[in-house]
Amino acid sequence: MRYKKYEPWLYLAPTLLALVLVFAYPVVRLVILSMQRRSKGEMIFVGLANYRSLFKDDVFLEAVGNNLYLLISVPIMVAVALILAIFLFERIKGWRFYQTTLFLPYLLPIVVVGLIFSYIFQLSGVLNEFLTLIGLERFALDWLGSTKLALPTVMFVVVWKEVGLGVVLFLARLMSVEEELFDAARIDGASWWEMQWYVTIPQLSTVIEFFTVISVITMLSWVFNYVYVMTAGGPGNSTMVTELYVYLQGFRYNQMNLAAATSVLILIVTIVLIFVQFRLREGEDGWEQI
Amino acid sequence: MKKHLWAILAALVILSMIAAQCATPTPEEPPATQAPEVEEPTEAPEAKEAEEAGEPVELVMWWWGEQEAPGAQEWLDETVELYQQENPNVTIETVLQSTDSLIPAFQSAMAAQEGPDIQYFWGGVWTLEFAWGGGVAPVDDLIPEEELAHYINNFERTYDGQIWGVPWYMSGNPFVYNKSLFEQAGLDPDKPIETWDELLEACDKLNAIGVTPISGGLKDGWFGGWLYSILSRQTHDSEKEYMKAAVGEASFTDPEFAEYWVRLNELKEAGCWNEDINSLDYQQGMDNFVQGQAAMIFGNDTFLAGWADTMGGWDDIGLMLVPKYGDGAMADQYVTTAQGLGITSWSEHKQEAADFLMFMHTPDRLKAWFEYTGVIPADDRLDPSAITQPQLQQVYEWDTTVPGPNMENFIPSMLDEQAAFAGAQLLFAGDKNPEELAQMTEDVAAKWRDQNPDAVENFRIWAE
Repeated sequence: MRYKKYEPWLYLAPTLLALVLVFAYPVVRLVILSMQRRSKGEMIFVGLANYRSLFKDDVFLEAVGNNLYLLISVPIMVAVALILAIFLFERIKGWRFYQTTLFLPYLLPIVVVGLIFSYIFQLSGVLNEFLTLIGLERFALDWLGSTKLALPTVMFVVVWKEVGLGVVLFLARLMSVEEELFDAARIDGASWWEMQWYVTIPQLSTVIEFFTVISVITMLSWVFNYVYVMTAGGPGNSTMVTELYVYLQGFRYNQMNLAAATSVLILIVTIVLIFVQFRLREGEDGWEQI
Repeated sequence: MKKHLWAILAALVILSMIAAQCATPTPEEPPATQAPEVEEPTEAPEAKEAEEAGEPVELVMWWWGEQEAPGAQEWLDETVELYQQENPNVTIETVLQSTDSLIPAFQSAMAAQEGPDIQYFWGGVWTLEFAWGGGVAPVDDLIPEEELAHYINNFERTYDGQIWGVPWYMSGNPFVYNKSLFEQAGLDPDKPIETWDELLEACDKLNAIGVTPISGGLKDGWFGGWLYSILSRQTHDSEKEYMKAAVGEASFTDPEFAEYWVRLNELKEAGCWNEDINSLDYQQGMDNFVQGQAAMIFGNDTFLAGWADTMGGWDDIGLMLVPKYGDGAMADQYVTTAQGLGITSWSEHKQEAADFLMFMHTPDRLKAWFEYTGVIPADDRLDPSAITQPQLQQVYEWDTTVPGPNMENFIPSMLDEQAAFAGAQLLFAGDKNPEELAQMTEDVAAKWRDQNPDAVENFRIWAE
């Protein structure tokens, strides 16, 4: 059966049209907005002026810095998820219970998690009461009210919630690894550590890459809810993140153009990361092409 | 794959730049330096014909208020029902917005020029920014002058000679105290604190009996704005001074502005506040007072009836004006604002919307409002005899004799958030001193001016 060249495009047309309408149009509108500014009641083209304003804004720079700071949690999340997945894979006693328990936080709505931890981490909250009760009152700190502690506290909550996804991903992959690989390593006399290093981790490498990229994207552009519920960006701007900055610019300060410029920057970073992920998944050959 | 991805990205960017260059000015945007021109405020011919013919008119109202004036929902439902009985051709749909969605939802509606006919607005800049953006219609020609004359505090919605909305109810900030705790601390429960020194002394006495003197919660920021509005005013004569500083005709580092941070720091150093103020949100800070764990709070008069319910009556609730430290004209005023409603510029039924707003201000509805909510309506036609609680009589007296503007309504929202909200948090976290905070406020104002030349011009006109 012969097809004309344009036929496949004809079949694809409805979907392509939907994609253009749903994705491309908003992105184009966003980029347009980011290059305009209101002047005497009219939207005028200002080129990159909004972007220049952003890089002069100390709050924006602090937000970017905080997003980058949150990246510290990515290796922590990967390591914790890996260790937990390995233990569960080893079928430790009660592993099924732990498996469910570890994944549970991931299923909870972020708002609920944020609210609960807000109460826990208050100066007069549960954690500090407990620390005082066991005689560790000098560790009873103002977790959310101090500019030095608020961001690490938020980071802890993000890790607590997101690590469950990593555990499930790693465990799912481990369960599909051929048992013979582990048997062979055992026969060769590999120690427990050697088995993890030479068998488990290499087998998990693609999933680790995937989870790492997903976690990086989360930390750069998916932490709004945590921050909004737990600290609203404060104290001061110590937990300000770029998404919250977009929200404030757009909906509190009525500066949609600056909000759009920030969104474009976040979008570019996210696209680059997704691109990196694609390349990683394509394997070593892919890297050579980059 | 890579080539395709970059090609698509490049195409998008180029397309956007071309489109941005070619984009024609949005026709609905009004000139910044004058009030936006909106449709002739009198009825559109179709609307008039529809009314004359008794054709169906559907009004949509997006509102907020149940959150601070419980009972508002019931009152509004009843009011709509009564109005519809009197005007069978009119149907009114009311949509209660959450605090977080109130502004974003309307911004989206304004961008699309499609949405409600009646929108809830806080006062001052929270109304006028939307008027400047072309989302609100003036009401001068929709509501007779003699009717407008009864509305309290509507100067907040006045800009460039036109009125951009209608007030609904009053929301003021009394300094509330717990009479029992005052008595326990050896303070006279029937003699409100009048001076700043007396306040500091009261903090000592309350601390001595283990009671938190003043409770607050800064975590969500809002209370920082309240404090700024309530405490910073005493060295000023008018809200115009703030507006002038915002546009650069004065500086927030000038002594009369910087003193606010000094005074707030004084209260902090004197141990007047709860230690966990930075880790609590406003509601939690308020709960401390209502539960009897703190003796004083910078409250809101719309909450008083609810607090009385929770505290088992009005006996323990005392009200006072903010103790004085300054000698500006605003030092003796009661901070208050009128929460209100506006008619959208795109509404096809502006006159019907205005008629409904006027119906909300009829004496029967004003009385019912007070009965449902315990909150003072923004209209001088409320029969004062309806107010039987001495505390609410006091609020009514202040509202009608010494009302003063809420400063948050007269400064750019960026200044409120990045200086007042953030500054209070940084002070209590011990990260910045009063001098640094005054400078921070000025820096934020300078940034706002740099980013918003249009808004600066609007503020300049407004300040005149």
